[in-house]
Amino acid sequence: MTRSEFTGSRILLVEDEETLAVGIEFNLNDEGYEVEWAKDGRRALDLFEKQDFDLIILDIMIPYVDGFEVARKMRGETPQVPILMLTARTGIKDRVKGLETGADDYLTKPFHLEELLARIKSLLRRKNWYQDSAGEHPRFRFGDNEVDFINLTASAGGKSIILTFHEAAVLKYLIQHKNQVISRKELLEKVWGISPKARTRTVDNFIMRLRRHFEPERQRPVYIRSIRGAGYMFVDKASNDEIDR
Amino acid sequence: MDKKRSLTRYVVIFVLAQIAWFSLLGLWIYRFISSRMILKQVDESLSSWVMSEAANIFTLVFGCVLFLAISIGMSLIFRNFTVQYKITNLYDNFIANITHELKTPLASIQLNLETIKNRNLEHSQMEKFITLMLRDAGRLNRLINTILEVAGLEQKKAVYQCGIFTAGRTMRELIQESRKQFNLSENALNISGRAECECVIDKNSFRILIDNLMDNAVKYSRGPVHIKVNLQCTPKKFIMEFSDKGIGIPSKSLKKIFSKFYRLQRPHAPNVKGTGLGLHWVREIVRYHGGRIKALKSEKGAAFRIELPVYRVSRKRRLKKLLKTSQKLNAGIK
Repeated sequence: MTRSEFTGSRILLVEDEETLAVGIEFNLNDEGYEVEWAKDGRRALDLFEKQDFDLIILDIMIPYVDGFEVARKMRGETPQVPILMLTARTGIKDRVKGLETGADDYLTKPFHLEELLARIKSLLRRKNWYQDSAGEHPRFRFGDNEVDFINLTASAGGKSIILTFHEAAVLKYLIQHKNQVISRKELLEKVWGISPKARTRTVDNFIMRLRRHFEPERQRPVYIRSIRGAGYMFVDKASNDEIDR
Repeated sequence: MDKKRSLTRYVVIFVLAQIAWFSLLGLWIYRFISSRMILKQVDESLSSWVMSEAANIFTLVFGCVLFLAISIGMSLIFRNFTVQYKITNLYDNFIANITHELKTPLASIQLNLETIKNRNLEHSQMEKFITLMLRDAGRLNRLINTILEVAGLEQKKAVYQCGIFTAGRTMRELIQESRKQFNLSENALNISGRAECECVIDKNSFRILIDNLMDNAVKYSRGPVHIKVNLQCTPKKFIMEFSDKGIGIPSKSLKKIFSKFYRLQRPHAPNVKGTGLGLHWVREIVRYHGGRIKALKSEKGAAFRIELPVYRVSRKRRLKKLLKTSQKLNAGIK
């Protein structure tokens, strides 16, 4: 067994293919995680309600309640629990749907064992970072907006919004380093926990979503600014003038 | 969504084309009659000089027949097109399903191989993983066979080895074999009726047929599996009714479920996997034997009725042909 900082983390594995589930469970146990295995969506929600988990590994095509709905329900109850979707579907639509319903990461079958383990670790690491930093400053107010980082909710210009974990984490990271230029590479590493290769559009998409939520004018952002050739910077409006100068 | 809209577009184009044909026909008849009337008024002798009465009528009738033939031809081509169109739409689903069915066992084999490679396993653990991988390899093999067999069936390349068997006894044997294969207890199955009539049967393909029905019964049962089979003979037919107590089939889908690639979309079902080929295969097997299959309305669970012609009574040309090809095949093998 390999000991790590995450030894003892509890993982809920939702997978109806027995041969695959047995293999995954064995490997996770060997890594020092505690695993509960649910064979279908109904059982998964049942276990989720009764026990606490640090991470969910979720197949999409599962009996009774499909993976998307399971993710949506889990997100409704515990917004911060990281969800790793594991599926044979490779279509772009499925990926987008998965991420929109609240999955944090998406791994397609067949996958490499090492990649699965690395992604689990990165999700757990991110969860810890997020929990620590959200615990310090659970709420943040800028302009007409107020964000609750614990419950992943926000109010923007009087409208209430539910944030996904990624949206909240990107915002949290930018706010934590406000008035500093943060590169896409840094965001990918710190927030997604992945090595930055050709996936820089991911960051841009999330920035666009955040701007849609919080900027009074999306085309002329005042809070989340693009710094040409460098990345993004969060600017609190109170200190706007200073920056503009 | 887009595809549905574009089919509507084709239907509109087709209807407009038909309207155009018939307007042209109408216009033509109108012009023909009016010019004849004019000619008649001008001069009787001139009219007969232009064209004889009989030739005129012949041209009119022949023209109408030609127009009708073109219109019918177009309708037939259009009908065929819509059928193909629907199959293409279902085919997209099939690709998604088959991708899932192929990738899942592959993922499992890969994971288990990497586990053996990366971890220090004890002998017993190693054996466990190898057994799992063999199970997946078997699953992949069955799936690939299904795809190939169904393709062969359509190109009439499937190999049948038919013989004359007592229908009831043969079916009982095959059903019991299948029950064991699916690890079902004896109580899960209730077979009634004797059915002593003789039918022309290829045992191998009926084994596949029963396995498919049994597989569905297992997959779509929420609790323990209960299967009821009734066997009987009428003077002309052998009838087998196969029913389970699973989630059943909505009555509007009773006919569609035999279509190639068709799958019921039910997100809350106990099973969500499949290729959409199983029942299509079943129907093709029954048809090949000169019989019929129907999904019956049932209050609880799914129910199928399979009819085969009785050999002595019907002596259809089809059955004789089946036996003849099988005999040739046997001779070839020997």
